[in-house]
Amino acid sequence: MTTDDEAGGYEFRVRGHLAPRWAAWLDGMSLTNESDGTTSIRGPVTDQAALHGLLQRLRDTGLPLISVTQLDPSSNESTPTPRRTAP
Amino acid sequence: MSGPLLETKLLAPRRRRTLVSRPRLSERLSRGGESALTLVSAPAGFGKTTLLTEWLAEWMAAAPAGERSVAWLSLDERDNDPALFWRYLVAAFDRVAPGVGSNALTLLQSPRPAADAVLAALLNDLGAIANDVVLVLDDFHLIGEREVHDGMAFLLEHLPAHVRLVIAGRADPALPLARLRGRGQLLEVRAAELRFTAEEAATYLTDAMGLALTARDVAALEERTEGWIAALQLAALSMQGRDDVAGFIATFAGDDRYIVDYLVEEVLQRQPDSVRTFLLQTSILSRLSGPLCDAVTGQDGGRAMLEALDRGNLFLVPLDDRRRWYRYHHLFADVLQAYLLDEQPHGIGELHRRASDWYEEHGELSEAVHHALAGGDFERAADLVEPAIPELRRNRQEATLRSWLEALPDELFRVRPVLTMGVVASLMTRGDLEGVEERLRQAEQWLDPASDRAAEMVVVDEAEFRTLPNAIAMYRAGIALVRGDVAGTMTHAGHALDLAGEDDGLARGAPAALLGLAYWTCGDLEASSRLYVDAMASLERAGHHSDVLGCSIALADMRLAQGRLREAMSIFERGLQRAEQSRPGIRGAADMHVGLSQLLRERHELDAARQHLQASSELGEHAGLPQNRYRWQTAMAGILEAEGDLDGAVALLDEAERRYVGDFSPDVRPVAALRARVLVRQGRWADALEWAGERGLSVDDELTYLHEFEHVTLARALLTRYSAERDERSLHEVTALLERLGQAAVDGGRTGSLIDVLVVDALAQQALGAVSAAQASLRRALSHAESEGYVRIFVDEGPPMAALLKALAKDGGTGSYVRRLLAALDGNAVISPVSQALIHPLSARELDVLRLLGTDLDGPDIARRLFVSLNTVRTHTKNIYAKLGVNNRRAAVRRAAELDLVARPR
Repeated sequence: MTTDDEAGGYEFRVRGHLAPRWAAWLDGMSLTNESDGTTSIRGPVTDQAALHGLLQRLRDTGLPLISVTQLDPSSNESTPTPRRTAP
Repeated sequence: MSGPLLETKLLAPRRRRTLVSRPRLSERLSRGGESALTLVSAPAGFGKTTLLTEWLAEWMAAAPAGERSVAWLSLDERDNDPALFWRYLVAAFDRVAPGVGSNALTLLQSPRPAADAVLAALLNDLGAIANDVVLVLDDFHLIGEREVHDGMAFLLEHLPAHVRLVIAGRADPALPLARLRGRGQLLEVRAAELRFTAEEAATYLTDAMGLALTARDVAALEERTEGWIAALQLAALSMQGRDDVAGFIATFAGDDRYIVDYLVEEVLQRQPDSVRTFLLQTSILSRLSGPLCDAVTGQDGGRAMLEALDRGNLFLVPLDDRRRWYRYHHLFADVLQAYLLDEQPHGIGELHRRASDWYEEHGELSEAVHHALAGGDFERAADLVEPAIPELRRNRQEATLRSWLEALPDELFRVRPVLTMGVVASLMTRGDLEGVEERLRQAEQWLDPASDRAAEMVVVDEAEFRTLPNAIAMYRAGIALVRGDVAGTMTHAGHALDLAGEDDGLARGAPAALLGLAYWTCGDLEASSRLYVDAMASLERAGHHSDVLGCSIALADMRLAQGRLREAMSIFERGLQRAEQSRPGIRGAADMHVGLSQLLRERHELDAARQHLQASSELGEHAGLPQNRYRWQTAMAGILEAEGDLDGAVALLDEAERRYVGDFSPDVRPVAALRARVLVRQGRWADALEWAGERGLSVDDELTYLHEFEHVTLARALLTRYSAERDERSLHEVTALLERLGQAAVDGGRTGSLIDVLVVDALAQQALGAVSAAQASLRRALSHAESEGYVRIFVDEGPPMAALLKALAKDGGTGSYVRRLLAALDGNAVISPVSQALIHPLSARELDVLRLLGTDLDGPDIARRLFVSLNTVRTHTKNIYAKLGVNNRRAAVRRAAELDLVARPR
């Protein structure tokens, strides 16, 4: 059982299209280039420490971060339930 | 990191050839001279480092040589360890002002350095240098340790005006930025200002990079990159030597891809395979040199390749003047690593192994471990870490050690007893006892040479393995001590002592001190003092001078209980000599002065006692062990009490109680009991009895050494109550208690305690009218006290004691000692408050405050100077105003001058 704060999935949205090769660098997250010129990066995140690690990696690319969303584990992954959003 | 500091990290990166001058930013930076902190905060590739090197070159050139200097520190993730960070920070200053860091460095090398003490020493020395200094901390976002941030906040708060701090990084540091901003002490340069403007982009692309571009091309590039310098740089590289520049720009501008992805691909495509492979393989390195690159790539010509990349402007940053070390621009390195991970995921481990090998051969342990861990070669990492543990611990790099040990998988520790003990040490340092015993047992099972599993064991550090039995016993003793298990402490410390070699300083000194502590706690002073003498000699041999001073305090306390005042005195005097011989400002030196002060007070040498407290303060806080602050206040309270300022003494003892820091020494003279004794002298016996009630003390208690001082204090309070209430029955209870206390003191060889008991008993018998019993007790006390020079223990009792002594003198048979005590008692009456033309004379403490009110010091400064809280100063000030009949500071100072209350400055 995971607690609310440690739940599995997250989606990060960044401005710009990211090549698929970055998947390995981002701990095997899956990348989807969206039609609005953003990339959504999704996948399981073990805990808060891992989440901050990923945020730091994204920061280091210089890619503008648009949002971070926790994915609702009970619902379909393709419809993220926004719980927390960072500008 | 064991080994020397890396010089390259202390050099400002060289200025690059092709630069755009940015007067709008450098002027801003130059104007910010009044800001204590300059923050350059923006994501990767915004030209932070370049801007700073450019500006600092101009800043240096704008003043005559020698008036300004720049200290630089390039941080990397290995510096996220307080011990290492402070060493680098001090070294950075020391480079530009040789000697400025020597006190701080000495402190850093001492056991248990406190960041505040180190920084205070550094600040002190920085204050004395004549030139302006800018310190740059580059890539500060890599530092996450809270202790470092707290230390930086402290540093900022106290930085002298001629030293300016510049922090550059990708994230705002955890410093009180809002407060600094509010005070106008923060200058910020952020992404919005760092972006190239259209003009700067044009200058860069056409002038610096030599591209023939139209204004429209430049505008398109500027818009697509939004002035992000790294992207413009990559774009320029992609365009160099290209025929269809306009076409490139049009495609680039219309593309949604991550700019760096797009451009790096463009750049890499245009490189020969050999260069591309070189870039990818070496992207795992945080620093590059020819030989290191050769080792990692398995090729020759690394140095030539680096020079070619440098010439071609391929995101290489030279780290030294001789161009031996470089690093990739961070952004570029990340992209290259993403390529490498994608294209050769299985080859990366091997690259890291080669890098680790190279670093090990070249004595850079920290990098060697880093690459072993990054490559997933845990066995190798463990082999490297194990022999490094002793030095890491000596250097107090607990954070580094912890991060390495935590990165290693659990099963590895099962067969590595020495490494397991490293975990134990790390846990104990943090005060985390959970799971320690299990680890100790895990290590211990390998100590049996007959074990049939001996072949499985892995030990790299044989010498350390031989010390395991002693170390295991020591840790068990330590755990028992923390848990308050005296018997357990004795068993394990005794075992450790048996296992230690006769000449092995630390292995012998530590258990001897611990065992001594246990005996002391039980009240066996004979055994405990013998062990402490042994421990001090051993620790001295091992060069642990500061610990020797710590033990001196304990030993002197024991001698005091034994009534051996002179010996206690010479322990502190020897300690002071030791401190002067070892190094200036050694931790514990200030404590020696405080100890001496307390003994001098007992001998009624109040001026000398004050001078030693003064000397203790002058050495500075970093020269004191953690307990010194409260001990200083306790000592000062004793002096104030002797001078008749009882209110001042109580106020100081209140402070001391708040600042009390327990080490593991038994608290045999609790501050609260000292305070209760002063309350008794003030006639506030009811308050004192309230304290005794809270402590659960009663006349029928079973007696232990730990509560001896408290019980004698209780007796004093009850005796004073008797003089008010005349309940004879209760007084008999007091004398019964005193008789038992006296017997216990005799049995335990505690002559010092016995004198204390006999003094009260003499007064109690006198109150009961048992004159000969009173005289007998007093005679006994005097006979023990005379040769040791006790004075205040009698004199503090005032008129009743004077009466007793006079009666004794009249009966004859007493010598010069009693006459001396009587003279002191006589003087005592007139010592306190000097004749003043005031109805309510000012106390000595109030006079101290009044004197400082006549200076420029503000309230907090006065509080600091007198080692009291601001509230205490306010209380004193209020009383002073009331007694002088004024209502402000200036009037108080004027009135003081009229009344001649304050000595004029000489």
